[in-house]
Amino acid sequence: MKQIQLGNGAIALGAIAAGVKVVTGYPGTPSTEVLQTVAKYNKDKSINVEWSTNEKAALEVAAGASYCGLRTMVTMKQVGLNVASDPLMSLIYIGIKGGMVVLVADDPGPISSQTEQDTRHFAEYANLPVLDPSSPEEAYEMTKYAFDLSERVGLPVIVRPTTKVCHASAPIESDAPRYEYTLEGFVKDPKWCIFPPLAYRRHVEIERQQTEISAEFDKISFNRIEGSGTLGIAAGGVTYAIARDVIDELGLDVTLLKVGAAFPAPEGLETEFIKKANAILVLEELDAVIENQLFHVAGKKHLSLMIQGKHNGFVPSAGELKYDTVRSLIAGFAGVQLPKSEAALPSDLKLPARPPVLCAGCPHRASFYAVKLAAKKSGKKAVYCGDIGCYTLGNAKPLETTDTCLCMGGGITVAQGIAKAEPDTLPFAFVGDSTFFASGMTGIANAVYNNNKITVIILDNSTTAMTGHQPHPGIGKTMMDTQSEKISIEAVVRALNVKFVERCNPLELDKAVDTVKRAYESDGVSVVIFESPCIALVKPDKACEIVDCIGCMRCVKEIGCPAIYIEDGKAKINDTLCTGCGLCKQVCKAKRIH
Amino acid sequence: MDILISGVGGQGTILASKILACAMMLDGHNARTGETIGMSQRGGCVVSHVRSDANSPYIPLGKADMLLSFELCEGARNLPFLKKGGVAVINTAKITPLTVALGASTYDEDAIRAAITARSDAHFIDANAAAAEIGSVKAVNTLLVGAACGLGLLDIRRESILEAIRMNVAPKFHELNERAFAAGEALVRK
Repeated sequence: MKQIQLGNGAIALGAIAAGVKVVTGYPGTPSTEVLQTVAKYNKDKSINVEWSTNEKAALEVAAGASYCGLRTMVTMKQVGLNVASDPLMSLIYIGIKGGMVVLVADDPGPISSQTEQDTRHFAEYANLPVLDPSSPEEAYEMTKYAFDLSERVGLPVIVRPTTKVCHASAPIESDAPRYEYTLEGFVKDPKWCIFPPLAYRRHVEIERQQTEISAEFDKISFNRIEGSGTLGIAAGGVTYAIARDVIDELGLDVTLLKVGAAFPAPEGLETEFIKKANAILVLEELDAVIENQLFHVAGKKHLSLMIQGKHNGFVPSAGELKYDTVRSLIAGFAGVQLPKSEAALPSDLKLPARPPVLCAGCPHRASFYAVKLAAKKSGKKAVYCGDIGCYTLGNAKPLETTDTCLCMGGGITVAQGIAKAEPDTLPFAFVGDSTFFASGMTGIANAVYNNNKITVIILDNSTTAMTGHQPHPGIGKTMMDTQSEKISIEAVVRALNVKFVERCNPLELDKAVDTVKRAYESDGVSVVIFESPCIALVKPDKACEIVDCIGCMRCVKEIGCPAIYIEDGKAKINDTLCTGCGLCKQVCKAKRIH
Repeated sequence: MDILISGVGGQGTILASKILACAMMLDGHNARTGETIGMSQRGGCVVSHVRSDANSPYIPLGKADMLLSFELCEGARNLPFLKKGGVAVINTAKITPLTVALGASTYDEDAIRAAITARSDAHFIDANAAAAEIGSVKAVNTLLVGAACGLGLLDIRRESILEAIRMNVAPKFHELNERAFAAGEALVRK
């Protein structure tokens, strides 16, 4: 039966149909729903699904299962691949037995990411095949094919959807028969241990395989030439789907090269395309991967070509390629005049800006506010090193308590560098509970070992909130519906020899401020664990109420809660948003909030 | 048929989009949607594109047949997607962003309504109040789907939408959501 599924759901269902038996990953937008969908369709528990502590752990667990002959999938976002790159680079030299798909979601825009890195380039660097779906339907087919290819060539295969495929939805077969096979088990062999002589032999073999896989990519339907005409357009990923619609809309006679299996380059098909086209437009998001391949092939074959693309500035080198951008690029390339579009909105209409904010009642707001108040008392310059999660939103007005944000776990260690460079500052590092387990613990060990005096604020809201509430080691709930013993963050921090460790409810403002103050005044590394669950996990309390507001605006200016709005100069509370957290009551000096 | 759904993260726009796409599928169309999931969930702007019989899941500017907005100013923000004179079904409930309270922007309700009315065949409804009346503000999404359907302009069979609601909502909420759908239809037929 077909169901409307996200592209991520399509990938999950494709993997299930291909007989995947172990699925591991770490949450990260836009990849998260892949693993969640596998877990949802795993009623009989025949697939072992886990949220691993980070992407490196996920990839290694899957590698072990693959050594035994099971089909495995690892899921992550593009920056997660940076974390997993150490085991992945070596795994290519070791090879795999059971088919292994590394699902890496890229994020042009970027919409929910730190970088616009292009995993197709990573695949090229690593000598790994990469598939780039243009739609949820193709993502389903590609995932099934990826397992088969992986097993045949003995290498992991990267499936790399982008946000607009991950979060698009389409009708997908939801109960296809599953590929069946028997487990061979781990067979002892020197080939599973990486040593320099083995690495040399494998490198020779991997290079040889590239030609074979490239020849296969010339023939598979994910790569193809459509239409005719001397104008050539090459496109990959969702940009192909958009280009297809634009070409049909404008009624153009063009030769369209679709590149869905992007590396190793389908050089035969690309040669044929170059020969057909007098002029070429390359449409792809992120890096100029297809464009570089066309230049490369043309050089190899001594073909002349004229490319409009990223290298000559014709196509934007960063950001998404939206429909209207693709439309004007194609029209410009083909010399078609587009009708002038009328402005849809009056030019003087001002719409209110609506950036993402910490939710009403979010305990992080209280934590940030408490740290800010405590820091003020020191008279020193406080530097707030943030991290990846909902709490990155602490950078916005009026809290402004995120001065730096680099990468997962990076706040704790960046703060140590600031402490070294500028010893008179008061360095704070914020880290969430899931991030603490992913990559925060080593940073705290580093601080203790090297005597880098910082105060770490652990924001424990009992979930991985930003990506949609995944469990983690501190919660103990697993994706197999079992409950493991929870790992205590406090016990871990104490075991790391941190002397000042205190747990505190951030919604009790005075106590929270006092705890932070005592933390930074203590000797050595200090840790405050602010414990209060994400509002999405608990039933809200009765909404707060403002009676006889004096209009001082203190609540708005101090904490910036989205449930508070101003009407006729007085603060009011939107009771559908208010969770009754009570922070505003403690901030209102006129005591008008109840 | 292209429908653009707009709103604020947390309002349940994705369920509405899923129901409409599922109904299109049941009618035999090649349905697809494009969603906003991620950072903007946290009280930011969200849009869902619902399309039948297109390759790209994203609606070009000026091509949507209908704009279904869960929030007033988000309706205006997404007017550029609506074809000239297209149908706009707008929930008049306001969610005032924090930037307004902080004095960084303004929310001019009259100007926003005027802009929507000038550009579209506009239907303003207080869907939150209507949803509260039938028992839950959370049912505002199916109520708005009912309103979109009640105008009789969607190329989707009513029965398919009701079936799609049953397929995408937990059984214990079927009755509430069917009532919400009917209430939405009634609102635009008044």
